[in-house]
Amino acid sequence: MISLLRVSSVVLGCAIGSAMLSLAGCSKKDDSSSTTTTGTTTSGGTVSLNGAGATFPNPLYTKWISDYSALPAGHGVKVNYQSVGSGGGIKAISDQTVDFGATDAPLTDEEAGKAPGKLLHIPTTLGAVVLTYNLDGIKTGLKLSPEVLAGIFLGDIKSWDDPKIKADNAALPLPKKSISIVHRTDGSGTTEVFTQYLAQVSPDWKTKVGAGKSVKWPTGNGAKGNEGVTGNVTNTPGSIGYVELAYAAQNNLAVAYLKNHAGKFVSPTLDAISAAAAAMGDKVPDDLRMSILDPDGDASYPISSFTYVLLYAEQKDAAKGGALVSFLWWGIHDGQKAAPGLHYAPLPAAIVTRDEAKLKSITSGGKAVLAAP
Amino acid sequence: MASYTQRKLVDRIVTGLCICAALLAIIPLGSVLFYVTKQGIGAVNWDFFTKLPKPVGETGGGMAHAIVGTLTILGIACLIGVPTGILGGIYLAEFGGTRFSKIVRFSADVLTGVPSIVIGIFVYVIIVVPTKQFSAMAGGVALAILMLPTVVRTTDELLRLVPDALREGALALGVPKWRATVSIVLRTAAPGIATGVMLAVARVAGETAPLLFTAFGNLGWSDGIGSPTASLPVQIFNYSVSPYADWHRQAWAAALVLVALVLFFNLLARLLVRDRSPAR
Repeated sequence: MISLLRVSSVVLGCAIGSAMLSLAGCSKKDDSSSTTTTGTTTSGGTVSLNGAGATFPNPLYTKWISDYSALPAGHGVKVNYQSVGSGGGIKAISDQTVDFGATDAPLTDEEAGKAPGKLLHIPTTLGAVVLTYNLDGIKTGLKLSPEVLAGIFLGDIKSWDDPKIKADNAALPLPKKSISIVHRTDGSGTTEVFTQYLAQVSPDWKTKVGAGKSVKWPTGNGAKGNEGVTGNVTNTPGSIGYVELAYAAQNNLAVAYLKNHAGKFVSPTLDAISAAAAAMGDKVPDDLRMSILDPDGDASYPISSFTYVLLYAEQKDAAKGGALVSFLWWGIHDGQKAAPGLHYAPLPAAIVTRDEAKLKSITSGGKAVLAAP
Repeated sequence: MASYTQRKLVDRIVTGLCICAALLAIIPLGSVLFYVTKQGIGAVNWDFFTKLPKPVGETGGGMAHAIVGTLTILGIACLIGVPTGILGGIYLAEFGGTRFSKIVRFSADVLTGVPSIVIGIFVYVIIVVPTKQFSAMAGGVALAILMLPTVVRTTDELLRLVPDALREGALALGVPKWRATVSIVLRTAAPGIATGVMLAVARVAGETAPLLFTAFGNLGWSDGIGSPTASLPVQIFNYSVSPYADWHRQAWAAALVLVALVLFFNLLARLLVRDRSPAR
């Protein structure tokens, strides 16, 4: 028994010790921040903001938070973002366990109805789903039309030397090799964006497979996560899969050119993604919930999408609300400069203007929370 | 009747097979340890233990907050789970035998099989949603619930292994039952119970799913046990699914630290118990 007591006292000691360490850590922060608090926060102490949601923008948000904390405006504001997935983010903001949520796909009306207040969508950055492939001697230049892409993933086009693929790629030495398809097995926003695109461009896909976070794939091998698909494609000659742009760029994967609505083949560059967003023009809806799949415009990459921050139009706490809106205001302006380095496409000016109007409309107790920026 | 040499031969063969099987059982552990060390050791340095993470694109940084966070959450889990579990086990072994104790034993067995993410959601609903706050406390409760069945059942099993003669001896000397339980039965079983507790701690130390929606996570230092707190498993999870090589290295390093932490607690518990226990 004595020994047991000793074991538990050691564990207890560790716990108390670490709790004290973490307290010391934050109280130190308090001291340094309280002396430099600026007008952005109305209260004198530290404001802690928590956010949860999509995995896709996590590296960018982490970068924003780090950069923002070094600015005078960010002193006394502690932002925390955790990538628990879009679904988790929507649940957390609906339960009000976080101050802001984040999601890749805009809320459906049903999801929006579950929240106890009106949630605003703030587009923060843009990403793209890219087609990556592994073909000997073809590092770049593979062109795919929507029909061919749907045909491949439906299993109708089985070999790389199929005449339908050759038609767009006359110059490439396409091998007589069967196509091995790699798709995601876990539910994911990437799959949702990709299948939504396929359903939009191929009636066959829409009726046979449909769109969603996970679908019943007609053919192919499954892999978990973007990293799983990346690894699988890298190791399997003759394979093709879809991943987020950042994974393809970080791993130097070969990516395909896709034929856009205007009939041009476009590679997934950041400019092409921003162009897809800009092509929305004045068709951007009031609530900013929009799909930019297969957009107009010669330069638009067809499988681009926004990612959103979700927050309540009426903030309970004026100090927190003010700090949050100031942070997001910074994010859609100065924060955009960090995007290209991390393979996110910056927001086009037209969308930034729309975001500004949304942020200005946020209130707490009837008063706008945004101090004059 | 087989000859002596024949029997000797069979004995050798069977012993050899046993040794092979034992080696085979060690191979997974050995290769996991080897691989985690190989991948992680490069990124483990002083900064890793003392600094906060850096965003993508900036090298360096560490996971001090996640190490402290994991210890905090494990500490809370132990404070709640260990006493409850041991007392529950004592009840089952020493005062049980009723219909109620059968139900408790059965429930503990069922609880062992409940997926950890379900526990996470349960704690999210009963603690996080009402308080509107993710916290280390909620994470600790989730892990405590996960520890509970292991601690209850090992305590129960081990106490029942203690010979009745010891109990009877104590009672015959006029010692009250509670005293016999604490000083004789529990003390005899202490090394085994400590091992069970350490197994439970090791099992929950690496859990990610129940922490995601309870302790949540934090990019920096936690504001206290009532606030979102970073932990090594969640950090490993977040970093390993990212596209960045630098984050992957950090994730490996975190995995190595986590394994080392569990190993350290295990050894510590064994040393303490071996030195003190009368029953070696």
